[in-house]
Amino acid sequence: MLKLVHVLSVAAVALSLATAALVAEGTHSAGSGQAEQPRVTFLRDVAPILNKVGCTAGACHGAAKGKNGFKLSLRGYDPQFDYEALLYDLAGRRFNRADPGRSLMLAKPSQEVAHGGGRRFAKDSDYYKTIYNWIAQGVPYGDPAKETVAELRAEPKEIFMTRPGETASLKVVVRYQDDQTRDVTRETTIESNVPDVASVESDTSVIRGERVGEATLLVRYQGTFGAIPVTVLNPKPGFAWKPLPQFNYIDRLVDAKLERLKIQPSPVTDDVTFFRRLSLDLTGRLPSPESVRALLDDPTPSRVKRAKTIDKLIASPEYVDHWTVKWGDLLQSSRKYLGEKGAYEFQQWIRDAIASNRPYDKLVRELLTARGSSYDNPAANYFRVTREARPAMEKTTQVFLGVRMVCAQCHDHPFERWTQNQYYQMSAFFSAVGIRAGYEVGEEIVFDRRAEYEMKHPKDGRVMKPQFMLASSVAPVPDGPQRRDALAEWLTSKDNPFFARAIANRMWSYFVGKGIIDPVDDIRASNPPSNPALLEALTKDFVAHGFDLRSLMRTIVSSRAYQASIVTNEWNANDRDNFSHAIPRRLSAEELMDGVSSAAGARARFPEVPEDTAASQLVDPHIGREGFLDVFGRPPRESSCECERRSDFSLPQALNLVNGRTISDAVADPNGRVARLVLSGKSDEAMVDELYLAALSRLPTQEERQRGVTYLSNAAKGSRAQDLLWALLNSQAFLYIY
Amino acid sequence: MRLNWFAASLMAIPLLRAGDPSYLRDVRPILDKNCTSCHQPASTQSDLDLTTYARFRTGGKRGPAFVAGSPEQSLVIQFITAALTPSMPFGQPPLAANDVATIRDWITSGARDDSPSEDASSEPGVYHQPPVITALRFSPDGKTLAVSGNREILLHRADGSGLVKRLPGKADRILSIAFSADGNLMIAGGGTPARFGEIQFWEPREGTLLRTAEATNDTVFGASLSPDASKVAVGCADNTVRAFETATGRELYKISTHENWVLGTAFGIDSKRLVSVGRDRAAKLIDASAGQFLENVNQMHGELAAVARHPKADEIVIGGEDRVPYIYSMDRPRNMKVGEDATLVRQLAAQDGAIFALDWSPDGKRVAVAGAAPSVNIYDADTGLPLASCKGHTAGIYAVAFSPDSTHLATGGFDGRVRLYITKDCTLEKSFVPVPLDGGAQ
Repeated sequence: MLKLVHVLSVAAVALSLATAALVAEGTHSAGSGQAEQPRVTFLRDVAPILNKVGCTAGACHGAAKGKNGFKLSLRGYDPQFDYEALLYDLAGRRFNRADPGRSLMLAKPSQEVAHGGGRRFAKDSDYYKTIYNWIAQGVPYGDPAKETVAELRAEPKEIFMTRPGETASLKVVVRYQDDQTRDVTRETTIESNVPDVASVESDTSVIRGERVGEATLLVRYQGTFGAIPVTVLNPKPGFAWKPLPQFNYIDRLVDAKLERLKIQPSPVTDDVTFFRRLSLDLTGRLPSPESVRALLDDPTPSRVKRAKTIDKLIASPEYVDHWTVKWGDLLQSSRKYLGEKGAYEFQQWIRDAIASNRPYDKLVRELLTARGSSYDNPAANYFRVTREARPAMEKTTQVFLGVRMVCAQCHDHPFERWTQNQYYQMSAFFSAVGIRAGYEVGEEIVFDRRAEYEMKHPKDGRVMKPQFMLASSVAPVPDGPQRRDALAEWLTSKDNPFFARAIANRMWSYFVGKGIIDPVDDIRASNPPSNPALLEALTKDFVAHGFDLRSLMRTIVSSRAYQASIVTNEWNANDRDNFSHAIPRRLSAEELMDGVSSAAGARARFPEVPEDTAASQLVDPHIGREGFLDVFGRPPRESSCECERRSDFSLPQALNLVNGRTISDAVADPNGRVARLVLSGKSDEAMVDELYLAALSRLPTQEERQRGVTYLSNAAKGSRAQDLLWALLNSQAFLYIY
Repeated sequence: MRLNWFAASLMAIPLLRAGDPSYLRDVRPILDKNCTSCHQPASTQSDLDLTTYARFRTGGKRGPAFVAGSPEQSLVIQFITAALTPSMPFGQPPLAANDVATIRDWITSGARDDSPSEDASSEPGVYHQPPVITALRFSPDGKTLAVSGNREILLHRADGSGLVKRLPGKADRILSIAFSADGNLMIAGGGTPARFGEIQFWEPREGTLLRTAEATNDTVFGASLSPDASKVAVGCADNTVRAFETATGRELYKISTHENWVLGTAFGIDSKRLVSVGRDRAAKLIDASAGQFLENVNQMHGELAAVARHPKADEIVIGGEDRVPYIYSMDRPRNMKVGEDATLVRQLAAQDGAIFALDWSPDGKRVAVAGAAPSVNIYDADTGLPLASCKGHTAGIYAVAFSPDSTHLATGGFDGRVRLYITKDCTLEKSFVPVPLDGGAQ
């Protein structure tokens, strides 16, 4: 890479040699007598055009290998690189100072010569003239200290449309480092994250409401960006807000937004449905028939009953199983990386942390500062998964901050503030971490002083010192080998705006099926929260309670928003973003497997583990691999992305449920629930009730009971009862949390 | 002044009656806007190229694109009106009705060509700014320095004391210049980017253009003249190496073993072999007589931009993107294995930027290396030790040339100034703008 100072001095030389600015199009002779043209620089004038007309797009010259031998930086994130590509490649092939109109960089985009990318601007356009004048003025780069954009302002800050079909437009003004301002509306790229709610017309940037809902406009100009929320309201007349009880601050904040959007929330669901939902969400298990009956028989008022149930479930051993699975996923606890013993040790470490409700900041600090033997200190396994500094940094930022840094490895993040330098500066916190063999088989030692541990920039090999990605009060940043301790302090600090927010958002998503920011591990300006006030309040509450995960969960499940019915009304039927009603979610792989076992009263069977080991107790995805669990989307723990766990519904899953052995073996188990019921000689009515309680955690309706009884009143009672349970396990009422 | 092609092309423009559709004014803009993204030299869908009148008339796989006077029999009309499928523009909405009518009227009225020839627009003229210098070379008698200009070659006195002659040509850019050993022939390679490549053959003393040859639709790179002056080799943007017969300008062969643009060529001392280098990172050895690819010379590192040969031995220095000049022998041991790098003689120090230009001094003792960084470095060719570093340039040096007696080095590049250095210690002896600037800015 060339030093900037050279470029600038070149530009200055060229400029001083340009005795007259040429403006008239395409001819030498019109130089004299022309009015003085405004000074044109690459930074301020030309680079924005290259971005606007698409030269730097990912499908064009911004591609990793460029296009047709000409490469620019992706979306122009590196103007210095683009300047050099335009001016220096192939001996200055793309511009002609002596005859600007003959410049390839004008002839191609105006399609004077054939251009694979088609015509980007016309020969009589302003863009053509700007570039022409820039070449005629000696291709000056401009002064980055003055001409870099300091701030982007888009007006209005928020767009409200009372109905689909309305249009709006933005005005975008930038302020440069030298405090000059410019209206850049025309050169700004505006994109909608949900084009079928709010579309943006590409030439005119007119924003149009397409349907009721919300969208965010991402506004980008020369490395600066802003996000403008757009709301398209339901124009239907007759909305009158009917307040529902608010159980805690969550409901106040959810309602505030719903009322504004004219969305009437659904009321709370009934106790029994709530009990099943809560049990699955907190423990991953179905409530037992006995506990459902006990709940039904309990005369305590509903709110009190629910609070008691919440406390009981949070204190249950199944709670520990369930959250050990979740954290095992995120921390990639797997023998593939850790060996068999290592995976057991790491799982046990996670279990202990959850069982003792270790404060989340402490838990993360223990992971990030773990050193020594992987057997003596299983937290050290955190580094055995990634092994190298850069993946360790990528995982740490994605899991604990919800930020994906990986794009910045090769180039500045195209939609975000993160730069390539920051990628390496953050990685430098882990660059001294080394791993060597221990004394026992499979043991490894994580230590802090590997040879030549400084992180180097890939372009020029310069040493990248550790530096936090956000401004911090930790100063100066220590750069000795134990530098990651400083990272752990900074990352888990109450003042880190990302840390608590990321986990609060992630936890919320586990209970309602969608993050306030979603995906939960892709937090960026262009992916804003659907309810910022709610996320803010959850975050504050979490920090105020000392990073107590159980307290956070208790708050969430105690809210009316969590306890809402899945039944919708005419005002909230289309809402999927604002938590106005519950949205059914498929049971996870482990929940399904354990649900089948408990409903059928059959023992789960996995190779290599003791009998009665539940799916949620398995050490890692090695056990039972390629079986039922994997069909239903158990993550292989090869990535810490939340997306690795699939919650979709597929044909192989349907076939497995209908024809697979998991369900058919369970219902036919000779020691199972059906066999015991038949032997016990209970009435048909009692059998039907019991099967409904076991599979669906509720009693049958009168009609269901009647049909069940009719079906069972047959000589082959045993096989009929198996059929009934099989049918229940194949019903949506079993397969979903609702 | 050479006005032959200029005047001829002016006369060739047919007179149009007012109101007649014009190819230049009306039809070509429609084609440019809607068709030439796919039908162009770099992407000839259906072998059809719509970027010039001649190629439009020639047509593609299906034959001529139009029949003058008969629009309904013309393929172009049939395709844009969906009478033939796939309808054009492919995958796009049909052309506006008035655009179709324009093309139809133009064919009806005779489908005449009123486009000016490529040459019509300029004589090398007045410079307001110095063009980037892309090539320079001393004549073998040491009296003249030939320097690239915009659409011309400028002959200067070798000590920089004055402009002797201007040799205007058709190519916008002259990317390489070479003299025959006797000084009777000067060749230049270049062209106009994305339009055509050209090789010019000059009698340099009188400044007579003997002949030209054209190749490809882009400039030709790294032109070199065989030591026996019988052949010129060039690298091309269509990934080929082409050789031309000096006496006739006839293309002898083209070789298509490179996988990316070919940017440099150099003949062996006996003129029987040829090395080409390119953006595919390869240096390829070619049998220059038969036009056959022989083998790869180098271990591939970065894209290669330049090659120069030792004056008396079959050794070459190559360089490019990875900043390191490598000296290779053109001869390979008989049993060399794949992946072996036994022909690497030595590598010189990594530069501060990509390498764009190389030269080997006529006495064989020195190698000059220039590129993206602002200095030209001179190395001892036998030991690889650095000898001197010539400063004063700004970034981007595209041309370096030793004087025939090896005592001087001329350089040029982005800033448009020729610099003359004393080879042994890089003393800057002279710096000048080689083109006449208007207003006497020189």
